[in-house]
Amino acid sequence: MNSSNSVAAGAGLGLMEVAFESLSHILKKKFQSKSKDVVEMNLSAAKFGYDSVKDISLKTTLKWNRRKPKGALIDGSKAFALGALAGDCRFASFYPMSPATGIMAQLSLLADDFPLVVEQAEDELAAINMIIGSSFAGVRSITATSGGGFCLMTEGLGLAGITETPVVIINAQRPGPATGLPTRTAQGDLLFTIRAAQDEFPRFVFAPGTPFEAFQITARAFKLSEKYQVPVILLTDQFLNDSLFISEKPFRAPKSIPRFTVEDKDIKAPEQYNRFKLTKSGVSPRALPCNGEALVVVTGNEHSEDGHISEEIKDRVNMARKRRSKVKNMIKEMKPPQLLYEKSKTLLVCWGSTKGAVMEAVEVLRSRKMDVGCLIFSDIWPFPSDHVISALEKCKKFVMVELNQTAQLGQLIRELTGLSYSDAILKFDGRPIYPNDIVERVIQFI
Amino acid sequence: MLDINVYNSDFENKWCPGCGNFDILSAMKNAFVDLGISPQKLLIVSGIGQAAKTPHFLKCNAFHSLHGRALPIATGAKIANHDLTIVVNSGDGDCYGEGGNHLINAIRRNIDLTLLVHNNMVYGLTKGQASPTSELGTVTKIQLHGVISAPLNPISFALSLGATFIARGFSGDGEQLSKLIESGVTHKGFSIIDILQPCVSFNRINTHSWYKSRVYDLEKTDYVPDNWMRAMEISQDWGDKIPTGIIFQKDTPSFTDRIDTLKESTLINKKYSEERLNNVLSKL
Repeated sequence: MNSSNSVAAGAGLGLMEVAFESLSHILKKKFQSKSKDVVEMNLSAAKFGYDSVKDISLKTTLKWNRRKPKGALIDGSKAFALGALAGDCRFASFYPMSPATGIMAQLSLLADDFPLVVEQAEDELAAINMIIGSSFAGVRSITATSGGGFCLMTEGLGLAGITETPVVIINAQRPGPATGLPTRTAQGDLLFTIRAAQDEFPRFVFAPGTPFEAFQITARAFKLSEKYQVPVILLTDQFLNDSLFISEKPFRAPKSIPRFTVEDKDIKAPEQYNRFKLTKSGVSPRALPCNGEALVVVTGNEHSEDGHISEEIKDRVNMARKRRSKVKNMIKEMKPPQLLYEKSKTLLVCWGSTKGAVMEAVEVLRSRKMDVGCLIFSDIWPFPSDHVISALEKCKKFVMVELNQTAQLGQLIRELTGLSYSDAILKFDGRPIYPNDIVERVIQFI
Repeated sequence: MLDINVYNSDFENKWCPGCGNFDILSAMKNAFVDLGISPQKLLIVSGIGQAAKTPHFLKCNAFHSLHGRALPIATGAKIANHDLTIVVNSGDGDCYGEGGNHLINAIRRNIDLTLLVHNNMVYGLTKGQASPTSELGTVTKIQLHGVISAPLNPISFALSLGATFIARGFSGDGEQLSKLIESGVTHKGFSIIDILQPCVSFNRINTHSWYKSRVYDLEKTDYVPDNWMRAMEISQDWGDKIPTGIIFQKDTPSFTDRIDTLKESTLINKKYSEERLNNVLSKL
């Protein structure tokens, strides 16, 4: 019998100065179905490992809080899956790819108890086109992938764009390009995501920073996608998807689901229904196929109001303008980035899953009497320039914290507000960023 | 009975005069009239190519999508609402080339759709390049020394994957074709109808009269399409005699029949429940 795992667990936890009772409690639980001998052997193996590192001390000591934590223990993957259900998502199609697969595994676990079908597609092209088809037919739908799969999906993303079909796509980032580091974390796809697919069409891009935000933003993504008839892309990463967080805020289901589709009775002359009727807001009343007199015609070609192919200059210009004109109301839906210690001279600026590390770093720096705050983005595109300007104009300088090589959000801020970051803390080794990484660098800058 | 004119679309048709697509379009309309499927109850999904323009020339609900992607779009729509009657118009390039993987998997799923492959053995929309069904040696503006890859045999391909309804039609026999389309739509499961058609602009070999002198109707023989081995044998026939008609058919539950969630109602008709979700969330 081999109990080397228990030796290693004992040694590891011993180095981190965890009380041995915590480990023995877990081991007894883990092996409860086994014989007494097995339990005893593993306990003594663990103790052996634990004692053997007694005299070694690590640079960092960890404080262990023995109280039972309040709230939910949840990873990002599960939170995205539950958020989809809170957005009344009923169809999910995907092709397996780390670190996105966990989301689909969670949805599959829920599929027996909810009006939900999960289908493993033959490739990412099929995955996105299936959800475009199901959404066209009236069912809210989602797919999840990582950067390489998202590359394949960009063709379908454009189809969702030009046919104005709502879809929600999760891109769980990992370092790339190509296969890159499949099981590690990154934030290298921001600029790719906001521009992905040829030509121009509106989309929303959100990057939740915690499981609770992942839950709320995913539910909101379904609503916004349907309200504006645009694709929504959620950016996450391996760190957020696969790490367990304690979430104190309670997860709650929405009371009801507002729908943004029309039926014959809502249309003046259903037999003359035009799917792409020009409107001031750019949003046309959306009927569903085979649901009455109104015939629904859509095409990936440029088209006239009735959805048939058109190469006429007026149709091309009108349709491109119609799609573009949605942006002015879409921007109003964007929540301002979260600003902590707003009067600080220096602001750390980040997006997505680096939120926790940045917030913790700010507390450490402030405890050392440094005047540092932070600005945290979850709503990224369409870019909420006005909010960003008012948050950044008061600080003396701002520093980007991102898991990519070129400060992609920093570039975007400069492009769209004219404000430039003074320094950037960039990590692209595939590992998550820790508060200490940030603290040490900020001390050098100030 | 429906008036066939209800399917008329006033959208300008730019297919070449004499194109086999016109006959396929007529056969489709006749089949829908016979089946009593009104334009309001019909969803046509298509990819890209001259064939894929079909839904613009026929009044119906339509999704004219991307090259090769009609089947996944149609699959998604069927899962969302399995009461829909969905017909897919595709071509040899769209379906056997760009969309090959989707065809493999639509067959495996046995999703209840009817796929019409307008097979003219050439790329028409892009003006005359070789397609996956072009015969060896076919000379085009790109394949100057003739095609060097062997042609795909759609019938034996579909058979090998276990397709539950496989037929071959010919655009020059409208009566047979419309019956085949009716049988395909009525079949519960995935139906593929490979339709031989001339391309008057880019295929000067496999012309209307070339086909006309070769095709024969299996229904007028003692052939019964219920034997897979026999069907495989028939699928190899190509040359002086080309068999048309239903080549193989069997009853197997379709994709949406196999999903418990869809047994009682369509996905689109289900209801959101706050309580059901809170039950899960409260256990976090």
